[in-house]
Amino acid sequence: MSEPIKVDIWSDVQCPWCYIGKRKFEAGAAIFGDEVAVEYHSFELSPDTPVDFDGTPVDYLSQRKGIPVPQVEEMLARVTGIAKDVGLDYDYDHVHQTNTVISHELIHFAKSKGRQLEMKERLLKAYFVNGEHVGRIPDLVAIAVELGYDEAEVTEALESHRFLPDVKADVALAQEYGIQGVPFFVIDGKYGVSGAQEAEAFANVLAQVKSERAAV
Amino acid sequence: MVGATDAAACEGDFCEIPEHHQQAVVNRQLDADLV
Repeated sequence: MSEPIKVDIWSDVQCPWCYIGKRKFEAGAAIFGDEVAVEYHSFELSPDTPVDFDGTPVDYLSQRKGIPVPQVEEMLARVTGIAKDVGLDYDYDHVHQTNTVISHELIHFAKSKGRQLEMKERLLKAYFVNGEHVGRIPDLVAIAVELGYDEAEVTEALESHRFLPDVKADVALAQEYGIQGVPFFVIDGKYGVSGAQEAEAFANVLAQVKSERAAV
Repeated sequence: MVGATDAAACEGDFCEIPEHHQQAVVNRQLDADLV
């Protein structure tokens, strides 16, 4: 039996296309049918965002980019509609704009326990659907405890920032690869796929890798 | 690189949500021209 195809995915917890792309990739992998081994890597879209930004995502985008508020609202409504098409109920009225570095540390903590994919999904849902804060340690610990982790162990891991070097290593690797946008998928260490592609696109590249392996 | 070049992605700190995916390609080309 051949080894599963490795898929490395650079992604941020606060990236709306990353959650949509996750669903589309999952659908593509289902179409492909064979086993794939997924690993998420940290990418910080906005590392200088304060933990408690005083304002809404609309305020953040309009202030940061100078885009008129009505235009931002229209953009968010559009991405909300696209998310809905893949079964995701984005609630931008309750999103907490924040710094995601500690959420990435929690994902690496979960990875050390062999449960990275579960944590990644839970944090994306926390941010976009549930209106939960994903930038503060107490909020992240509560999420981890809900998933069955030991409160003291998670608290220590996040307060000591034990996994921060792993986060920064992922970010550095993205820079080395020239990754400027997320989601970014590296398939079998050879093919780069940028953005929330349609499911068929992911299925096709996975099938291509499989046939190339068979030809060797 | 494989896949559609105009697939939506977040770049920098801005998650571009264009009217149409094709606009994202035009925007990126314009940005590249400015570099």
